[in-house]
Amino acid sequence: MKRKTNEMTVESERGMDEEESSHGEGEEEEEEGRKGTKRSMKQGVSEDVVLRPVKMTRGELYKPPTAEELNQLKEAENLFHCSLLKMQMEELLKEVALSERRKRLVDSFVLKVTELLHGVPETDEVELSDQSWLSEDVKVPFLLVPKATKGKFHMAPPASVSLIGSYPLGTCTKPRVSVDLAVTIPAGVLHPKDALNQRYPRKRALYLAGLAQHLSSSPDVGTMRYSCLHGNRLRPLLLLTPPGKDSGSLTLRVHACPRRASSRPAASTRRGTTSAPTGTRASPPGDSALLGDLLPRVHLQFLSAVGAQCAAFADGVALLKVWLRQRELDQGAGSFSGFVGSMLVAYLLTTHRVSNTMTAYQLLRNCLHFLASTDLTENGISLAKNPDSTAPSLSEFHSAFPVVFVDPSGHLNLCADMTANTYKQVQHEATLSLQFWDDPTLDGFQALLMTPKPLIRTYDHLFQLCGLVKLQASCKKLDLLNELMDHSGNYVLTALPFILSLLQRGLGERVFLLTHSLSPDPEWPVDSEPPKHKDQPPLSFGLLLNPEFAASVLEKGPPADSPKAVEFRQLWGSRSELRRFQDGSITEAVLWAGASAYQKRLVPRDIITHLLQLHADIPESSVRYTGGLLDDVIIRGREACSTGEEASLKVVQSYDDLSRKLWQLEGLPLSITAVQGAHPALRYTQVFPPEPVKLDYSFFGREKVSRALVPSEDKPCPVYITPVKVICHMEGSGKQHRYTCHARPAHLDVCKDGLVFRIQVAYHREPQVLRETITPEGMLCYRDNPEAQALELETVHRPYLTSTLHGLQQQHPSFGGACRLAKRWLGSQLLSGDVSDDVADLLVASLFLQAAPFTPPGSPQLGLLRFLHLLSTFDWKNSPLVVNLNGQLTAPDYVEIKNDFIASRETLPVMFIATPKDKKLSVWTKDSPSVQMLQRLTVVAAESLRVLEAQLVDPSQPQDVRVALRPPGRVRRPDPPQPQAGAPAVPGSGPAPRHLSPGRRARGRRQRRGALPVVDYDPVGRYLAELKDSFGELALFFCDPYGGTVIAVLWKPQAFAPLPFKTSQMSARRVEVTGEEARTVPNVEAILEDIRILGEGLVKKVEPRTERWVV
Amino acid sequence: MAPSKAKRSREPCVIPGGFTVLPLKFSTDSDVVCDQHSTILLRGGGEGPVLAVWAIQSVELRERPGTAEPAESKLSRYFTPAQKEGFKVGYIVFKNGSGVTAAKSHPADAPLVVSTEQRPVRTGLKKWIHQYSNSLIQPDKLQADVDRFMQEYDKKKEESEQKKKEAEKQQEEDEEGWVKVTRGARGSKARPHSEAANQKALQRESRKKKRKELLNFYTWQHRNTQREHIAELRKKFEEDKQRIAVLRAQRKFKPY
Repeated sequence: MKRKTNEMTVESERGMDEEESSHGEGEEEEEEGRKGTKRSMKQGVSEDVVLRPVKMTRGELYKPPTAEELNQLKEAENLFHCSLLKMQMEELLKEVALSERRKRLVDSFVLKVTELLHGVPETDEVELSDQSWLSEDVKVPFLLVPKATKGKFHMAPPASVSLIGSYPLGTCTKPRVSVDLAVTIPAGVLHPKDALNQRYPRKRALYLAGLAQHLSSSPDVGTMRYSCLHGNRLRPLLLLTPPGKDSGSLTLRVHACPRRASSRPAASTRRGTTSAPTGTRASPPGDSALLGDLLPRVHLQFLSAVGAQCAAFADGVALLKVWLRQRELDQGAGSFSGFVGSMLVAYLLTTHRVSNTMTAYQLLRNCLHFLASTDLTENGISLAKNPDSTAPSLSEFHSAFPVVFVDPSGHLNLCADMTANTYKQVQHEATLSLQFWDDPTLDGFQALLMTPKPLIRTYDHLFQLCGLVKLQASCKKLDLLNELMDHSGNYVLTALPFILSLLQRGLGERVFLLTHSLSPDPEWPVDSEPPKHKDQPPLSFGLLLNPEFAASVLEKGPPADSPKAVEFRQLWGSRSELRRFQDGSITEAVLWAGASAYQKRLVPRDIITHLLQLHADIPESSVRYTGGLLDDVIIRGREACSTGEEASLKVVQSYDDLSRKLWQLEGLPLSITAVQGAHPALRYTQVFPPEPVKLDYSFFGREKVSRALVPSEDKPCPVYITPVKVICHMEGSGKQHRYTCHARPAHLDVCKDGLVFRIQVAYHREPQVLRETITPEGMLCYRDNPEAQALELETVHRPYLTSTLHGLQQQHPSFGGACRLAKRWLGSQLLSGDVSDDVADLLVASLFLQAAPFTPPGSPQLGLLRFLHLLSTFDWKNSPLVVNLNGQLTAPDYVEIKNDFIASRETLPVMFIATPKDKKLSVWTKDSPSVQMLQRLTVVAAESLRVLEAQLVDPSQPQDVRVALRPPGRVRRPDPPQPQAGAPAVPGSGPAPRHLSPGRRARGRRQRRGALPVVDYDPVGRYLAELKDSFGELALFFCDPYGGTVIAVLWKPQAFAPLPFKTSQMSARRVEVTGEEARTVPNVEAILEDIRILGEGLVKKVEPRTERWVV
Repeated sequence: MAPSKAKRSREPCVIPGGFTVLPLKFSTDSDVVCDQHSTILLRGGGEGPVLAVWAIQSVELRERPGTAEPAESKLSRYFTPAQKEGFKVGYIVFKNGSGVTAAKSHPADAPLVVSTEQRPVRTGLKKWIHQYSNSLIQPDKLQADVDRFMQEYDKKKEESEQKKKEAEKQQEEDEEGWVKVTRGARGSKARPHSEAANQKALQRESRKKKRKELLNFYTWQHRNTQREHIAELRKKFEEDKQRIAVLRAQRKFKPY
């Protein structure tokens, strides 16, 4: 990838030769493939991966159906939206199910290990603290603190070895196949009193170490590692893999369990003997751990009994597991694991909420429905039919745990480690999924089961706690020592729920959802000590913002005299102040700093750092807030901390005023029927919105007659003034304002508020008139032509798009920012020539209009990430991108668009975007991008996304997060050649263009009214156009309009091929005579010279990169 | 690329097809001789007396070579579409035929110079600034142009009205009571047919027919609907099967 990037953008290099030619070949192959498979279409689609219309003969369509076929069709029609979903689910299940080969592998490995385990030799009884019997290469997976404890220990063969968990149930899925093996510690090893003083977990750890020592000598076992169950250090596991090449294909997890009868630890074990019992707290985590050890076999029996009743049980659980995994909910401490999932399905089956005859698809749907509608943090559920008298009640469970789901025994909470926030996340996901499922316009299967939802791409803002060791202090500050002991010293898991509830309280209605990453179960080799808590990866938190309140700077509290005021002051500390409001109320309030939209977006950051510092002693330095890290690439100006939302708003306001004044104009020959904006600045998506300028007249020349300003040769290039385009529709038949204006044949430039508006007059029937032709028979026909299309694009489509997207911005405040980031990225990758402003805006709009499986992005940065994800994954070849502006398209429209698309795929643009006003043509992408550029776009987007996400997630990355927004590869220039049109460079990517240097804009000097400023004078644009006009057949030209200082040139692959001599093909060519034949080749030397001559005064130097070609 | 031998010699460079290559360079301080503003190719029909003068009468620039004279545009300069930048073909008309011969025998090692100090050619920034100031126009002149155009348009319209009237006059009886029968008379009066109107009429007809029809009244109708329904389902099934096959080929079922 890196290599390609480089080649692509260097100046005058034949870098893409190979790449391009390989595309070419690919196409040819495809062509052949098409021809080939058209013939063999009946035999099924082979390597051809293009959809085409299905053709069935009448006989096939209308033959009498068999009963079986009829059933099949009816079932598909009734149960699913269509048979497609059913087939997709079947394919997916095939994909995740274990193959026969894999099963055989598992069985044989389990058999071997079981045999080995039964052969564990018995050792002499030693003191518990004496570990001399263990070899140096095997460590005990336990923090041995304190070192000395009373008790005896010896190794003995296990009482029994049996499979537990998902594998025997048949719900084990790929990838990461892990098979659980329960090894029962023989009765002689454990002692009834072992429940005290953590003697039991210590003995278990020793027993595991003993097993590891025995297994390490066997050649049948590959690598051995320790891990622990649900992140609980008291419950170590031994992980085994088969030796050799199969080592990656499965992991055997060895659990050491006590015999059921021998020791049933009493409820008082929870904190050893060190602390006083605290009354009625039922089954606290310490207990859950021990209970958990006792119960797996019981659970297995229970689940297999339930599963035997319901044919689709295993498939249903597998689907649920895939769903959970795509949402990163199934791994780590406090996860909604596959086990909990299967228990949930079992619960629904045993309570008859679903019937035994349902399909896997229905099971999944009902599970999601149950999750969405049941709040287990309030109303826990229990699988226990008739619990014994010692079992605690549900309310007791609720007082001890945030989430309650009691197992069949009535003693164990299956969701003991889960935080309320994780459960809320599950609920939120379930609700969303059901919405997507019921939406006929989108591919529910894709949204539910196929799209991964990593934290970074799901939540609007993200922050990480980096120095986790700081949480130790938090535990102290929050007075959590008892809880710390329950979690056996895992201060991260201890502090987490409290931090979460603190933040939840502070953020209040600013967020819909506050979630956190689940810390993964640690794994370490058997010959090393267990890793420390602080060494785990940083904890990430995700915020789903409520756009209505998230950016508000004021936190209004209760009135000063109400009892709640104390609470409020306690929460906010010194930030809380008494304030008097306009309505006369005097209340406690917190006011956050924030003058611009950019600063306001970061109010949640201020809240979080303030609260963590105040209540949990976590310094600001260990909070890494990545909500707005990318925003500064669209900051304009030096000192102002604004990302341009305000500037855009000013333009829009000025435009509104202008439009009012246009309406009021009197004495026009035709009356105005509509005034519409047609410029990105009027929909908040201009990367650098036009800013009012005051000009220093001494930097300009003057035109003699009209006294308009003209650029002066010996002065720096004037600041670029963007004309903001406005379309003014006039009627079909048919007050003085003192603005400087300038009429041109095609438009009128009006100078207003320091901005320039370009008013173009349009007549709505004009495109239609252009289409009119009269046949010799006198018939009036309408025939489409490029001229009419271009005019329609200009006067109909673009104003419509602008007004619709303006509306979208009102709904989603981060839309404009996301567009601008996306365009900035396109520019930096030199792709803005191929993906126009309008196309980029449409693509981003699609992210907001159809966000499934996500919610619409709530921050510009998230918008960019999703944009890159869309570009890198969308299958342009087989699907149209439907952008449902204003929600005007209905399900039948979608079907129609899709069918039309498939029917005429070859003739349609490679990037096909359908909108309500344009269902068949994709007017915006007609000319570009080409296949090659789309391919490149996809590749670059995937790579940028990878780099960007890695940098946002991992604080230790050496590079700047903005690296993906820098021009690629070897484009490096020490100095910018000449001032350019456009905008400042990416901060930190080189010196800013000189046009921002002082003196270009008048400072404080009063502007005289009257002179027309230099409008739309863009030397780089003109230069680029000239280059393309002259050498477009030989080379491609790229530049970054938002602050690049380089024009990159790439020879086309076929550019150097000699052609036979023709007078019509002599542009930029030289004649070579060989014998009687005259042929022409590109006159490279002269072309380089011409590039210099054409850009005189603008080009600093032309740097041929002749690695692969010669001058 | 090394310059070919022909260029170094004092001889003109003639290539097969009867073309002569004239070397050209942009300015005197330019090192590159073979500039492509340059590659003037001459194929002359030199018939007149030989005179060693390069008297040039006119130069005409076109976008591509060809013999067709472009129609003289009557539009004012404000409304003629902008011409493409880049390479153009120039036709040089010499005052005398001898000019052609002289040009054709121009030695290959003495390149012609395009931009001299006396007559510099504007490029780069200078050119763009010049273009920009040229693009500024005075509203009154523009208005005058527009008015002229509209006057011409009105005149044309009037003329065609006149013609029509005359044609109608012809329809009337002449002194001897004869009427000249032509084809166009009725046609010009009747409303022109349009494609859209035709289609609309057809649609209206079919809609009318549908409205009158009874649905699922007869048994055969009912059977037909069922058959259609099953055929629809079948078709959909086939489509879905194809989709699945495509997705499978793309390995779209691997969830992670």
